[in-house]
Amino acid sequence: MKYLTQLALIFGICLVGDLVSSLLPFSFPGSVISMIFVLILLSSRILKEEHLGESADFLLRNMTFFFIPPGVGILRYAALVQSIWWQLILVNLISLVACFAASSYTVLLVMRIQRLIARRHHA
Amino acid sequence: MLEIAHSPLFGIMLSIVSFRIGLWVNKKVGHPLANPLIIAMLIVVAVLSVFGIPLDAFEQGSSFIAMFLAPVTAVLALTIYRQRKILAGAFFPVLFGTLAGALAALSSIRFSATLFGLNEQMIASLLSKSVTTPIAIAITEQFGGIPALTIASTVITGLAGNLLAPVLGKVFRIKDPVAHGVGIGSCSHALGTSKALELGEVQGAMSSISISLSAIWTVLLAPFFF
Repeated sequence: MKYLTQLALIFGICLVGDLVSSLLPFSFPGSVISMIFVLILLSSRILKEEHLGESADFLLRNMTFFFIPPGVGILRYAALVQSIWWQLILVNLISLVACFAASSYTVLLVMRIQRLIARRHHA
Repeated sequence: MLEIAHSPLFGIMLSIVSFRIGLWVNKKVGHPLANPLIIAMLIVVAVLSVFGIPLDAFEQGSSFIAMFLAPVTAVLALTIYRQRKILAGAFFPVLFGTLAGALAALSSIRFSATLFGLNEQMIASLLSKSVTTPIAIAITEQFGGIPALTIASTVITGLAGNLLAPVLGKVFRIKDPVAHGVGIGSCSHALGTSKALELGEVQGAMSSISISLSAIWTVLLAPFFF
């Protein structure tokens, strides 16, 4: 019963997330709203980690498993993928390098600014 | 005989068995290219085509599994919550690092995909591919893209990030472990993070916290690129 209760809680939060998503004047994924809900509930200690417990960890540990069904759907698009495979790979590689460079250099920059501010504070 | 393939139980069983084999092969080979998700997908596709089972029959059951994507996303909050102390230690560098990463990913995808002549539906499927898969799928569905294409791209990106993480660090002369970790997590989610964990504890922790942050930034910013 414990697991069923945990799952009911998680599903309930997801339903609320979807409901809020449908009420918003702009489009925003319901699942991400649910995630933000859970984060707020945990941070405000209304919800404790135990309440989500083993069921949440089961979902997190086996996360990859849940991508199999939508992934297999690629069968429907076999012809499409065959016609654009090199574009797909190039777009992926270009954005990978751009994203890596931008994020790591920004971290270095922010840390440098923080050090400057700290030094000025001491002086 | 093949009537049984139309039972929802068939799709669920086939997915579990294929994933089990995928995990086993991954453990035996011990290389990220032997990705359990790719192996499981190949097994499912092979079984369906060998026995001439239509995709619709498989989806009778597999749609139950796909239904769990939203709950999986919701409990991702738990991983952010558990890392709150690590995040607090490098709050601004990580916050702005992941923001810059998300912006760079979105704009470079938009730009290069347009350059290569991909249509709007393709771009909708690719925009989110740098972030963790359940959120990437949610963004793709929001813009009317093809989730299957997003999954293929997140796996390609994740594997490339995993394999290239040390090289990228050298090429861009990133010696700081925090910067290296945030870079890896922002651009290649969990698959890259497993390499970051090998590089060091700080790299691993930073990469791991960057997965969820860059996903949130991407959800917020993606509408401006579509």
